[in-house]
Amino acid sequence: MLSLLLLIPFGGALLLALWPGNPAQGRMRTITLVVLGLQLAWSLVVLARFDPGNSAMQLQESLGWVGSLGLDYRLGIDGLSLPLVLINGALTLVSAICTRDIDKRPRFYFALLMVISGAVNGAFLAENLLLFFLFYELELIPLWALISIWGGTNRAYAATKFLIFTAVSGMLILGAFLGLALFTGNADFSLAPITSEQLSMGSQLLLLGALLIGFGIKIPLFPFHNWLPDAHTQASTPVSVLLAGVLLKLGTYGLLRFCLGLFPEAWVQLAPALAIWAAISVLFGSLAAIAQKDMKRMVAYSSVGHMGYILLASAAATPVAMLGAVFQMVSHGLISALLFLLVGIVYRKTGTRDLAVLHGLLNPERGLPFTGSLMILGVMASAGMPGMAGFISEFLVFRGSISAFPLATLLSMVGSGLTAVYFLLLVNRAFFGRLAVTAITDPVVHGRLDVNLAAVAPRETIPAMALAIGVVVIGLLPAGLGRLSETAATAMVQLPALTAALHGVALPSGGLG
Amino acid sequence: MTLIGAYAVVAPTITSLQLNAGAIAPEMAVLIALLACLVVDLAGEGVASRWVPPICYAGLLSALVLLALQWDAPLEPSFLGSFLADNLAVAFRAVVAGSTLLSLLISWRYVESSGTPVGEYAAILLAATLGAMFLCGSTDLISIFISLETLSVSSYLLSGYMKRDARSAEAALKYLLVGSAAAAVFLYGASLLYGLTGGGTGLDAVALALKTSETPVTALALVFVLATVAFKIAAVPFHQWTPDVYEGSPTPVVAFLSVGSKAAGFALALRLLVGCFDSFETQWKLLFTVLAILSMTLGNVVALAQTSMKRMLAYSSIGQAGFVMIGLVCGTEDGFSAMVLYMAAYLFMNLGAFACIILFSLRTGSDRISDYAGLYQKDPLITLGLSLCLLSLGGIPPMLGFFGKIYLFFAGWADHQYLLVVVGLITSVVSIYYYISVIKMMVVKEPQEASDAVKSYPDITWSVAGMPSLRTALVACVLITAVGGVLSNPLFNWASATVAGTPMLQRAIASALPVALG
Repeated sequence: MLSLLLLIPFGGALLLALWPGNPAQGRMRTITLVVLGLQLAWSLVVLARFDPGNSAMQLQESLGWVGSLGLDYRLGIDGLSLPLVLINGALTLVSAICTRDIDKRPRFYFALLMVISGAVNGAFLAENLLLFFLFYELELIPLWALISIWGGTNRAYAATKFLIFTAVSGMLILGAFLGLALFTGNADFSLAPITSEQLSMGSQLLLLGALLIGFGIKIPLFPFHNWLPDAHTQASTPVSVLLAGVLLKLGTYGLLRFCLGLFPEAWVQLAPALAIWAAISVLFGSLAAIAQKDMKRMVAYSSVGHMGYILLASAAATPVAMLGAVFQMVSHGLISALLFLLVGIVYRKTGTRDLAVLHGLLNPERGLPFTGSLMILGVMASAGMPGMAGFISEFLVFRGSISAFPLATLLSMVGSGLTAVYFLLLVNRAFFGRLAVTAITDPVVHGRLDVNLAAVAPRETIPAMALAIGVVVIGLLPAGLGRLSETAATAMVQLPALTAALHGVALPSGGLG
Repeated sequence: MTLIGAYAVVAPTITSLQLNAGAIAPEMAVLIALLACLVVDLAGEGVASRWVPPICYAGLLSALVLLALQWDAPLEPSFLGSFLADNLAVAFRAVVAGSTLLSLLISWRYVESSGTPVGEYAAILLAATLGAMFLCGSTDLISIFISLETLSVSSYLLSGYMKRDARSAEAALKYLLVGSAAAAVFLYGASLLYGLTGGGTGLDAVALALKTSETPVTALALVFVLATVAFKIAAVPFHQWTPDVYEGSPTPVVAFLSVGSKAAGFALALRLLVGCFDSFETQWKLLFTVLAILSMTLGNVVALAQTSMKRMLAYSSIGQAGFVMIGLVCGTEDGFSAMVLYMAAYLFMNLGAFACIILFSLRTGSDRISDYAGLYQKDPLITLGLSLCLLSLGGIPPMLGFFGKIYLFFAGWADHQYLLVVVGLITSVVSIYYYISVIKMMVVKEPQEASDAVKSYPDITWSVAGMPSLRTALVACVLITAVGGVLSNPLFNWASATVAGTPMLQRAIASALPVALG
């Protein structure tokens, strides 16, 4: 059942690689769309079979693989991984849809896209630590290739930076997993949270620290965020969508599943520091975003800020905050994908993403009115306007964390306010005012304001429309997703609560109200 | 009289020992092939190039079949205790024979295009194989030395085989000088051991003498023996010969040296250090920890700066040997099996990479990394094969090398070798960087950025003599590297069966256990 979520994309990639002859790009895109559509459809079937009331791993599958290494092929799904699998299915499809007219090597491109999708599914579903690591590393080279072959002018630098950072993160994670399994003598690498309690607090903190840095690079959190803005600016639009929407979630998923899930005791100890770290990351991301002149860089830095909320929520570890973390993962996936898509459209039409150059794109006649409207919607969602997905997740995160860490939560709220600042700057500069695509300060072309931008075909905005609808639907009807993840979120935090009760550590409490 | 008495204590069954010549049947098959090659070579170049390849295949394949028959056979020392066909010997001899087979498959075209006689080349390579195979099973100082020299002398000849190439001659001379020094050092160490046993040369006798002896000479002997082993597996700081020899020697020879010769070196390390110097376990493990850390660091870091493909692979092989040493230092069941497993994985991924660079140099005459730019357009097979093999060497899933490397780290961590594993993890990241930069050259560079070598790339033909076998070897290696990882469970079982079927290793594991528990 779950294996099909891996077999469909991997099989699709193989099929595409072995497709006889030299099919046209359109044909390959169609094949990819069919395969990814199938994958999304199968994710929905999994959703239908999923029992939201059950907090345990469901639809489990297992197969012995390499016994002497403790590496077993074991898959399972719960309320934490299911939304992420759905997001992965949807966003990979979106990024395949918005891939048009790539200039070279379509076969390789689409095959890599499917491999990434399959690897991400595998990482979300893996119930064995080594299996997770395998899929986590598997996604590394295809994404490196996607950036370094189809990226911008400085792509080699950005891709290499991405590769090195992620490889380091992988090694830290592997080291921590080996340490956990072998310190405890439980070398089957299963997802059993109790095992870490046999360790002394010192070694728990050491292993947790390695995991935190490893996943902190992937998420990314300040000060390990350095690779992200470069990777985003150099990557093409579909790859940015994939990177922001899906691949960063591997980091946050790892944070919840492996850091919090496997080291509840040490987590409780570290939680206050983590909350402060989260607040710093949020503030840094927001302030850095204000300073950006490149629209894509700005959106990238906003990701750094918004991923900080997830760390805050998981530090608080109350049921509400955990639910908020899941919501934030989903809504950040949708919103950042939406923003990257729209920035991509602007870039294609105007040839620039420079905020000092773009003006008045909202012009109804010669500008990009529809794209602009969607942008305003996306920006509002990202800033946490009520009625959209961003609001629900931020509200849940802050509501769940404020009793535990008031200071860090308040600082994060300031960061949330700053989101409105930089995105208003973006909208104000690029979309409002008189239409112009040249630098006002440039004396030679000064005054050339009568640009006429090519109209955006409806098919170009369809993926963005779909995402925007998703953002609004989750904002207005959050109950569905909430029901899906509530049990898992509650089950997740029972672990730290339990251990805290056992050891008499005062635990930050919070109710579902 | 006392001498005989002492010897009888050491080897009480001396009179009952059989010759048990069946143990070296695989070597006999190789030897017959070698003699046949020499005879055929007398008949002239045309006959030789027609008949030498099948003779070699027949000899090596029957050696592999005979080795398979020896697997798990009842253990009896042969040749009065100087050779033992335990599973360790069988496994490493299979790796050696396999590496020779693959090296031969990829060398015919190379040798013919360089205009040197095929028959001689095959005969010398088979002689080196013979030495390496004997080395894997030798349990006596004299037979160790003889097989070591058989391997070494043949290797000197091989590395100087391209007589017209000045670099090849330089490589041979360097290898000869350094290798002879290493042999002399080994002989001196062996003579000290001979003195300690009071006249015995069997490794059992040496082990017993080392346990009971109190003199500091034992430490000296350890250092000498260790230096020889480190030379053979090219561990830093005994690695200086490697880059020059690898760069100058004919590429198929380098392929053999980097796998077959190294496998024999590791077998020797196991026999001497684990089997013999177990009373000095702390000392040699400490020394090997240092060697492993140096090898991993220096090999992988210096590889970053290389512009020649062969030199890059030479330094990477130093780093890879460092990884394998983690298993040796562990001395646990997992450690030994991880070693065996990684050597087997290394056989395929490294020879696959060498097959690709030989094919590239046959078509372009170049060995520079920058000349690979834009290759995907012209030669997808080399691009795919070399990419997969390099990713596997870098330990990227789902290749075979990933599983091998994880197993080594797993074993190292289980044995509390934290420093080694951490250095291994960090240097793996470094190694990913330089392997990826080759892949970047081939895959990422666009046709307009292609190198001159690639722009004037010849049409791909496989009809020339020697090319089909090269393709077979390449495809086989790449396929095993790519798919072998996912289907690696039999390989894991084979590696643990190797360790289980080797009494010497079992003793070492058993003696290490109380320490681990306490």
